[in-house]
Amino acid sequence: MPFFKLFLLLVLEITLFSQTYSFTELRYSDAIGRYSKVDGIIEFKKNGLKIIYPIEKKELDYDGKSIVFLSKGQKLPLPSEQERYMMYYFEILKLLHSGNEKELKENFTVEKKASHTVLIPNGMLSYYLDFIELTEKDLSKLDYVKLFFKNKDTISIHIDDEIH
Amino acid sequence: MKYINYLVLLFLLLSAFFLKDSIHISTNLLSLFASKENLVKLDIADKLGYSKEMLIAVKGLNSQSKEEVKELVHQLKKLPEVTMVQSSIIPTKEIQEYYKNNYYLLADFNTSSYNQELIHKKLQGLYEKQLHSFFYTSVSKNDPLEIFSLKQVTNTSSSTHKGTLLTLGEYGYLIRVRTNVSASDMNQAKLLYDKLANLFHHYSNITAFAPFFYTVENSAAIKADVSNIVLISTFLLFFVYYILIRNIKLLFHTVLALASSMLFATLLTTTLFENFHILSLAFGISLSAVSIDYLLHYYFHDFYTGKSKFDKDVFYGFLTTVIAFGILSFIPIRLISQISIFSVFSLSFAYVIFTFVFPYLKIQKYEETTHQIKSSFTIKNYWVFVISLLLYIYTFSQFHLDTNLRNLDYQNTKLQVAEKLFKTANENKLFPVIVEAKNKEELLERLELVKKNVHQSISFSSFVLSEKKCQEKLETLKKYDFNYLNKLLNEEANDIGFKKDYFKESYKNINVLTCELPPLDMFKIFSLSFYSTGKKIYTIALVDDKSKIQKFAFVSDLDVKKMFQKATDAMYKYLTIFGGIVLVVILLLLYFTVQKRFLYALNYILFPSALSMAVVTTFYNVNIMHLFALIILVAIGIDYGIYMSNSHQKSNTMKAIYYSLLSTFSAFGVLVFSQIIALNSIGFVISIGCIAVFFLIKVMK
Repeated sequence: MPFFKLFLLLVLEITLFSQTYSFTELRYSDAIGRYSKVDGIIEFKKNGLKIIYPIEKKELDYDGKSIVFLSKGQKLPLPSEQERYMMYYFEILKLLHSGNEKELKENFTVEKKASHTVLIPNGMLSYYLDFIELTEKDLSKLDYVKLFFKNKDTISIHIDDEIH
Repeated sequence: MKYINYLVLLFLLLSAFFLKDSIHISTNLLSLFASKENLVKLDIADKLGYSKEMLIAVKGLNSQSKEEVKELVHQLKKLPEVTMVQSSIIPTKEIQEYYKNNYYLLADFNTSSYNQELIHKKLQGLYEKQLHSFFYTSVSKNDPLEIFSLKQVTNTSSSTHKGTLLTLGEYGYLIRVRTNVSASDMNQAKLLYDKLANLFHHYSNITAFAPFFYTVENSAAIKADVSNIVLISTFLLFFVYYILIRNIKLLFHTVLALASSMLFATLLTTTLFENFHILSLAFGISLSAVSIDYLLHYYFHDFYTGKSKFDKDVFYGFLTTVIAFGILSFIPIRLISQISIFSVFSLSFAYVIFTFVFPYLKIQKYEETTHQIKSSFTIKNYWVFVISLLLYIYTFSQFHLDTNLRNLDYQNTKLQVAEKLFKTANENKLFPVIVEAKNKEELLERLELVKKNVHQSISFSSFVLSEKKCQEKLETLKKYDFNYLNKLLNEEANDIGFKKDYFKESYKNINVLTCELPPLDMFKIFSLSFYSTGKKIYTIALVDDKSKIQKFAFVSDLDVKKMFQKATDAMYKYLTIFGGIVLVVILLLLYFTVQKRFLYALNYILFPSALSMAVVTTFYNVNIMHLFALIILVAIGIDYGIYMSNSHQKSNTMKAIYYSLLSTFSAFGVLVFSQIIALNSIGFVISIGCIAVFFLIKVMK
């Protein structure tokens, strides 16, 4: 499933309260047994959000209605099925960004552990995702967000800094 | 004998008491206008839940309206009458599970063979993507080569949702609700309506629409309207009967006789006919008041105190009216045929009572008072004839038919605006059709045929395969060597660097697939259900182009507007034919009855009808009720024509007609004050007709 990284970014947003920040994503693919790394910037806008991958020169711009995909400044089409799935996750991102605890609890079962917090998805997400682990640097800032997929893939996202 | 009037009513009341279980009265308005075939169709659609959907729009696409959507969904789910609430495009868990388990059967299968080189190329691409893609993409263990492709069905287009929430264009968010309340079930509809009104009261920016809202709101408005009309009418009738006749005994017996004739006709029609409609009953009862003509004519001509035992004029008047209604009772328009049958019974009964029973009631002779009815200004009857013809020419030049039956109903503008909002903002243009078959398997096969013939559709065949198609699919899959494919796949994957045995299970369970029909209930979120009568099974399919499947006899169109359009066209056709027959018969009877005074008598038919139609066509489009009222006007006019032509005591005849006109206006004319177009139209035509007859009495020579 694409764009789970966005999912974790939104989790970061709850604590950080920043509108734009950079991140590093470390991905583990169980199919090939290897890790890969990407760097990016996420910006929360009034009705949507934008994710930029500076090295790859790629952008995803969601205005709350549709997603525009830009590759090296050129607009490319996204398959409608893929766009639909991406929107599910972008909406959850926005939910976490809004900090609506009531709604968060509607979508996840939240378990607080000694060193981290675990979010177990309810509903459709549970088909693809086992759980999300949030590790805090201190009381107010997230350090790592780790997604554990059903297919044994993982994605770890590390918040590098905030951009204002 | 002087108690006979009481005994007749008593006998009828006793009969009513004993026959009460055999009385059938229908309240289904559709049954009056739609054909039997369309009624069956609408009933099936109702059973399939077609009219049970409610749409709620929350204005604005902002976080506040989004919050309201969530609250509303939560509240709606608590209502026992609500069976489904959808506000999001996310498929249900059940449907996701169904897709997962039946992936190989439901997905399109690319039968092109994969050789070693192709597999290598595909896997290499997948490997590179895992390492270098900036999007996270998972690797499918079941179908890494993507030789199956499945497009999940949604009941929304991309422009009808914002994020994951359903929207109504740019207006706001949309909630689709399915209830178990049918638009024809008044009690259930009222119960849910009140609950919803209580719930919606807390939200200022929502608009809701469901077909059953019309049932509740319109019937309340119609009830209030009819109550007012009945009140005015009753008051006027008593005023006319008492103040003008000034004979309490006569008034009392007249009311008894009218009540008896109405009861007689009611008992006969409601026990002999199935589904006799309450509206026909109401009209029929009003029409019974026309029989007061006979009494007034008898009374003012001293029939009850004189020696004469038979009045030719009254008999001819009665006969022509009854023959006219008798012919109309064969018209294939239920409302008109039912009213005509009722009128034949009630007028005949009233005629018998007024002619043969009243002479025994010892009614005092009418005391003449001086009434100046005839005006000093007069017009020759041939001029009236010419004016009538000119008015008819004018009418034909202005004539426009209103073919929309809904215009006859109470005009609930608030609901019409809400309905329009949902129709105009909905960009998902799929139209419903009913598909029928002998059993589920045949139904699914037919739905597959429908799907094949249109560009876009939503039906059970979007999710479920017929046994036949499923077996064909299994046969196709069996022919493909998935074991060999699995072997090649794993060899290549190992070479490229995938984890050992990662694709060990790929394409493995295809050989054990079976064709099992899932529980079809899970697709109700797409408004899909089926209804079985035992002999036949029905479902609704939504298609983008109905014309492409019209050739199939098992498909019937569910366009209510079109159905009524067809029904209305047929009504006008029948009304023209039967109206023509009635007119010819009346003219013949009139000629034989009045002979030399034919033109004079004819004017009592021509002038009132011409004047009323000229006024109607000036201000309105002509509807079916205007035409029906015209027939009533002609039937009444003929009586007056005969009385006036043959009368030897002109002043008494004029007085009788004058009072009779007031009585007719009290029964029908007051309908002009109604807000229901159907009733208002009748009232309008009859009122102008009454004025025209009054004018003729005063001035025609």
